[in-house]
Amino acid sequence: MIALLLLRRFSLRHWRLAPGQSALLVLILALGVAVFIAVRLANQSAVASFTNFTTTLVGQSDWVIEAPAGPLSEGVLAELRAALGARPVDLIPVVETTAGRPLPSGDTPSLERQTYTVLGIDLIAAANLPGARAASRSFLGSRADFWGDFRAGPRLWVPPALAGEKSLRLVIDDAVVDLPIAGLLPAAPGAPAFPDNLLVMDLPRLQVLADKVGRLDRVELVVAPGPRIEERRAELGAILTRLGRNGERWLVRTPGVQRATAEKMTSAFRLNLAVLSLIALLVGLFLILQALDGAVVRRRGEIAILRSLGVGEGTIRGTWLLEAALLGLLGGATGLALGWLAAQAAVQVVGRTFNALYFATTVHAAALHPGDAWTALLVGVGASVAAGWWPAREAARTPPAQILSRAGAPAAGAWLWRRPWAGLALAATGIILVRLPPLRFAGGVRFPLAGYAAALAWIVGGGMIFASALPALAARIRRLGARSAPLRVTVGHLAHPSSRHRLATAALICAIGMSAGMAILVASFETTVRGWVARALQADIYLYSAGAHSASAENRIPAATWRVLARHPGVVQAWVLADYPLQYGEGAPAVLSGTDLELIPARASLPWVAAPRDAAVFDPARNSGLALVSESFADRFDLHRGDTLRLPTPAGVKALVIAGEFSDYGNERGTVMVERSHLAGWLGDDSATHLSLFLRPGINPEAFRAQLRREYPGLQVFTHSTLRNEILRIFRQTFSITYALELIGVVVSVAGLALAMASVLLDRREELTTLRALGFTHREIALAGSLEGACLALWSIVGGLALSLALGWLLIHVINKQTFGWTLGFAIPGWSLALLAALVAGTGWAVSYAVGRWSADLPADREE
Amino acid sequence: MAATGHSSAGLAVAGVGKSYGSRAVLADISFSVRAGERVALTGPSGSGKTTLLNCLGGVDRPDAGEIRLGDLRLDRLDSSALAALRRERIGTIFQFFHLLPTLSVAENVELPLQLLRVPAAERRDRVHALLERVGLAGRAAALPSQLAGGEQQRVAIARALIHRPGLVLADEPTGNLDSANGANILALLREMTEEARPILILVTHSEEAAAICHRRLHLRDGRIVKET
Repeated sequence: MIALLLLRRFSLRHWRLAPGQSALLVLILALGVAVFIAVRLANQSAVASFTNFTTTLVGQSDWVIEAPAGPLSEGVLAELRAALGARPVDLIPVVETTAGRPLPSGDTPSLERQTYTVLGIDLIAAANLPGARAASRSFLGSRADFWGDFRAGPRLWVPPALAGEKSLRLVIDDAVVDLPIAGLLPAAPGAPAFPDNLLVMDLPRLQVLADKVGRLDRVELVVAPGPRIEERRAELGAILTRLGRNGERWLVRTPGVQRATAEKMTSAFRLNLAVLSLIALLVGLFLILQALDGAVVRRRGEIAILRSLGVGEGTIRGTWLLEAALLGLLGGATGLALGWLAAQAAVQVVGRTFNALYFATTVHAAALHPGDAWTALLVGVGASVAAGWWPAREAARTPPAQILSRAGAPAAGAWLWRRPWAGLALAATGIILVRLPPLRFAGGVRFPLAGYAAALAWIVGGGMIFASALPALAARIRRLGARSAPLRVTVGHLAHPSSRHRLATAALICAIGMSAGMAILVASFETTVRGWVARALQADIYLYSAGAHSASAENRIPAATWRVLARHPGVVQAWVLADYPLQYGEGAPAVLSGTDLELIPARASLPWVAAPRDAAVFDPARNSGLALVSESFADRFDLHRGDTLRLPTPAGVKALVIAGEFSDYGNERGTVMVERSHLAGWLGDDSATHLSLFLRPGINPEAFRAQLRREYPGLQVFTHSTLRNEILRIFRQTFSITYALELIGVVVSVAGLALAMASVLLDRREELTTLRALGFTHREIALAGSLEGACLALWSIVGGLALSLALGWLLIHVINKQTFGWTLGFAIPGWSLALLAALVAGTGWAVSYAVGRWSADLPADREE
Repeated sequence: MAATGHSSAGLAVAGVGKSYGSRAVLADISFSVRAGERVALTGPSGSGKTTLLNCLGGVDRPDAGEIRLGDLRLDRLDSSALAALRRERIGTIFQFFHLLPTLSVAENVELPLQLLRVPAAERRDRVHALLERVGLAGRAAALPSQLAGGEQQRVAIARALIHRPGLVLADEPTGNLDSANGANILALLREMTEEARPILILVTHSEEAAAICHRRLHLRDGRIVKET
């Protein structure tokens, strides 16, 4: 109660005395919370858009079976029906493919356009489902219309976003088809809303269009409602597992597991964004610590009065923590509103990245749930109270005798910031932490907890080392003080820095270190990817289905088409790649890739992590039991050269010895690469994901591309340079959000520098009075203040860049390696870092000068 | 203006008034002081002593009247001219010393000379000589926080006199010292002002401090009510 009283009569009145400063502090905290919340909402919304589309249409199924690699044979329906006997279970066979809009002629090919998911379900079977009867009735319309629809050919049901369209021109595989629209999709009761990219057709029609006649992508099973449903559901699961031979023929999962798989698939990407979003919050935390610590210094006299009046240590500590909590509450609430606004922009970027790298998503807006509001407030209050703990402790320890002293030495601040050994100890702790392995979870998901802890140790430790080295810096430049009076004052303050100087330096070092560290990671990634692209892409022409507009696209080039292209007189050699989604182990998503391995030695210089010991893997006659795996796959599943992996296929389980391990930056799920001709036999499919063509000497690739575009409107044709540029464009776009987050971190820290300098100069009003009395002009007082701020900014740049080298190394060789399994070279983006340094130095100088000018105009400190 | 010293010029104050809002702090203050004269401003708290001192030092402006230091009208100078005046012709001593806590004793004393761009070698010599004079040559490298109160005030006196000002303003220079230290400081101040012969305006409550001055001006409610 007394703490509340003190908060109202003591702390809040100080807020009212300096409303601008209080508002800036709330805003800084709000910005930190906003960035965290924006990224969280964007991530959540992008993942939430991945849903089991069948659920949207016909309600929740109980079990889903799908092959670990390749399709299921339609024959499983009869097998299942026979095995289930008279049990009241409905089977929903599903074919799912993707489609894209055709490229307008002359348009630049792109691997990142809107992808539609086309779902084929048996509409008549669906109509009999009790849970979906209402929806199915509207699906089928009147019985007469329905049969009319069938006679009219394939038709589409579309989401409300496409209402008003009469038909859609789509590319499915290499065919361009015009599909009339039959109507709008009717939702099952209680089902999630339709994504804008969902199209539905009758199953047999889609099987024909997608070249999947006799094949299914999955079968969903619904247990009829009634008594003992849980028991019957469990019994069905057991039967399916037995028939599926524990995952060798098919995987048995609940629809919820599919969603969890999508979440797992993107967890590393989302986690990295979330960690990055903490930059601003971490910097904000430093600034709150700084502000509250400064308040302790400023209000020491008042605290001493309160102590002399009998207020206990606990009450003083409680008052300070309450003030921190209130600050956190205001910052959290403001941050929630700002974060929601920012999320609307961020979700587009995250969505595009998900679309390009993981799965089709059409999310346009980020939804806010009550849980997010609580999270924002919790983050705001938690961060603020954590930052306020030390100042609260310092405040509580203020001895009543302090009241007798009016002026004294500048507050040196918490001992922590004056002890370089504490920073060195943290740095050493980080060195130990980087040697620890990541945490491993089911499905090959890894989390580099120790790596992140090491990063935190180095960030805080680096800040402490450089902040405590300020006096040493001042000692080195002390001679400069002889040059002018403002410089003398500046050097004096740097030689005896207050806790605010130290905390401002630490905050700026933290922001610069993290931003520059991320820049080093991105540059290293880009340099490595450029090298990889140069080595892996050596053909003249690359062909994809025009429907394959993202990594999630399943559209392929049919065997008949690619064989014709391979025999083209202008082509010296064709190289086929066929990628399939693979559910490895207990359903962990990976990629199964079939290619002409014999072409690798001559046509591509794969970056080997562990090169094959002999050439058997490149010989189709000897490589049926061999495979190459990507580094990510090897790391995720701990399978390396010489180990055997068991690959479930429709033709049975294949035991493959890993002949070599290569670097691949196309996906972090991991790739198993086998001889294409063997894989075609195992899966019963000889289509291609993409085709690379090596042209005869003298043939102009651009002219050849133009010719293919005319002859094959259903294909996307890239030349070597357009594909390379497209890959790098997607790469840069993927990292675009990181640039924004880095910039916000730097802005927050420079604002923090301004806040720190304002507080420092405000605390030194007595000194300003003295300087005026000594004859300092306004300009000289402003110059002294700005030199002080600029020196702090420059020292922070030195410290931040040094820290960034350590963080860059950590991100590349520990966190990235443990999360994604990618080996990257180390590249320092000199120009980017110079730009960052110039930006911080320039803005640091400018804000310090502004604050210096402001302080020079402060009224004199009156003593009477 | 020469950096090596200033001839003391007289100070003339005529009809000076100053208000903060509706509260009149100074009203119709007039007096004059000859070069080398020491004048004590006495009076109860709130009588306007420090405000008058601030106006004389050019850190505050009177609302009415004029203040002349030699041939200069302080009340007509702009802020940069006032700053130049302070750095060249005025020295100030505060009750709470107001040494820059992050500068050493020598650096504090040197600062006014730096503002006047006195060459480094000359600065060094003059600072050393003056610190010898105030008995602190051995503490030149110490920080103010490492000195006792009396020592800090001696540094402040040295800083106020290092550039040989024509006007020294001292605001309760012994107010924060015990009697022994106070007496030492007053003796030092008297000696040093007798050597350099600046005008000394000394604001004080103390009889002992006022006793070193040639004249006393007693203020009450912003007016000079007695001159002795």
